[in-house]
Amino acid sequence: MNRPAAPIRALIAEDEPVLGYALLQALQRLWPELAIGAVVENGVAAVREALAQRPDVLFLDIKMPGKTGLEAARELAEDWPDGTPFPLIVFVTAYDDYALQAFEQAAVDYVMKPVNDARLAQTVARLQARLAAHAARDGELERIVRQLSAILPAPAQQSPPPPRLTLIRAGVGNQIRLIPVAEVLYFEAADKYLNVVSTGGDVLIRTSLKELLPQLDPEQFWQIHRGTVVNLRFVQAAQRDEAGKLSLRLTGRSELLPVSRLFAHLFRQM
Amino acid sequence: MTATSSLAAPPSGPAVSRRRLLARRLPFDFAIVSVFNLAIALLLTYLVRVDSSFVENLVFSLCIGSLVWLIADGGRILLWGENSPPKLPFFVLLAVANSIGWYLGVGAATRLLGIPPGKFAITQVKSTSGFLIFFIVTCASITWFFWNRARLQQLMAEAATEKARAAAIAQQATQAQLQLLQAQIEPHMLFNTLATLQTLISIDAGRAQRMLEQLIHYLRATLSSSRAASTTLAQEFALMDAYLGLMSVRMGARLRYTLALPEELRALALPPMLLQPLVENAIRHGLEPHIDGGDIRVEARRDGAWLQLTVADTGLGLDPSGQAATAGGGVGLANVRERLQALYGGAARFSLSPNPAGGALARLDLPLSPPLAPPP
Repeated sequence: MNRPAAPIRALIAEDEPVLGYALLQALQRLWPELAIGAVVENGVAAVREALAQRPDVLFLDIKMPGKTGLEAARELAEDWPDGTPFPLIVFVTAYDDYALQAFEQAAVDYVMKPVNDARLAQTVARLQARLAAHAARDGELERIVRQLSAILPAPAQQSPPPPRLTLIRAGVGNQIRLIPVAEVLYFEAADKYLNVVSTGGDVLIRTSLKELLPQLDPEQFWQIHRGTVVNLRFVQAAQRDEAGKLSLRLTGRSELLPVSRLFAHLFRQM
Repeated sequence: MTATSSLAAPPSGPAVSRRRLLARRLPFDFAIVSVFNLAIALLLTYLVRVDSSFVENLVFSLCIGSLVWLIADGGRILLWGENSPPKLPFFVLLAVANSIGWYLGVGAATRLLGIPPGKFAITQVKSTSGFLIFFIVTCASITWFFWNRARLQQLMAEAATEKARAAAIAQQATQAQLQLLQAQIEPHMLFNTLATLQTLISIDAGRAQRMLEQLIHYLRATLSSSRAASTTLAQEFALMDAYLGLMSVRMGARLRYTLALPEELRALALPPMLLQPLVENAIRHGLEPHIDGGDIRVEARRDGAWLQLTVADTGLGLDPSGQAATAGGGVGLANVRERLQALYGGAARFSLSPNPAGGALARLDLPLSPPLAPPP
């Protein structure tokens, strides 16, 4: 077996301390050479530490405070710097949920809590094989992007769709401004608010993108980033910079809207 | 035709039960028919004024009426049982019953009274067609009576079925509610707890032992309390202690909890599943998803004629629009409201508001008088 020379580095994200400790212990037992950089306890720290440490393997608990494991994986897929191989992600969960079933068919591995040594040994063997085959790793990011694009819209579709929104009501000072949805160029998430950029100017509304998205016409409004939804009517062109990053130019606007990896396929040539 | 008739009268089983039905029905119906026959004899004698005496008329009407009825109604029960018969075959049956009943009835009556055969029909009735009309009208009336009675019985049976169905629906609703309560033991909660236990067994057996005791206490109370009518505040607080104990092993330093139950309130009766959903809600929607975790304080206080139960957490808090909070804790809280309505009518209050210290504050106000023991 030809092992890579540099040590394989891992990161564990698990919100329950006892379970994080259990996974750490089991991994040290089954894979002593693995260098575990940290055990973080929430989704926000998982994204932050993963981007900082650039581990080879990432164990992500599905249900975590801050961000779920799936949200963390999605954010990493969007923000992962080019040129560094994307980590192999192993999801950890106490209970089979629907999101995991989508992954079961794909190659991304997952382990069930309580982690069982025999099952974890299989995961370790699979990870080692994948890490040894460099070629397979190059496609890791594309693969996870494909999978995430396939499963992420699912939760919104579970409940019956709310009625279509035609007017945005925004409180400005002591009056309510009414902005026809058709005149909105794009929505941009800003912390707990949403910046509504329209032909008549910008306003902030106190709604999340997650709540708003199902109320918009999917033919007219496309999500292009986890924090951006654009009105196709105003899209003039999609362009790539030298680094290969895709962004949109809008009619009558100077700013460029970045398109994340997860949504780049929407703007491919015909 | 063969197929239909074999469908209408399947072999053995139903035939036997129809025969039993016939035996059960006949004596009572015979009495009713006899009353009709008596009435007919009276009518013939005093209203139609036929030439024969009342006794003769009575014998005739009894013989003819009973035979017609026996063939018509007996045939109906044997052929169709309790079901309403198809119209055309039933009318054929009636026609047959009338003709045979008439023929045999007249024969029997003349023999009984010693009247020479042949004398009856011609001599005693002034107008043959008038008498025939009378006979047909009478038969029609009696048929109509029995037909309506059968319809009435059918309607009553339908009403009874409907009532049973309504009761079954109410039963199902209760069952569904119970299942809902039991579903509050989320698989996530259970499996995460078991996973923690499994790990603790190898690293800290004493702590694992305590955790297992708490889990057993929690499961037993949660799975059975919805059936018990009442519990005490002391029991309910002990249950919350077990639950929060479990959660604090799992959440580690992220969860801190306090339970405050004054000594004098310990023995107070309380319906189960009122406090628990509020505490579980605070954990599940307030503290567990909160990165920094927080504190939870469960407190019982007496305020004049009221018992005040509060669950205060310093977790994520309520959504500014109030939407996420109700969507997340919707089922549990709707359940609490429904139970309060069912147990106390409008007398109890429930509120969920922002906690001044951050997070959410759930508050129950229950009247102390009439005593908290809920109606059965």
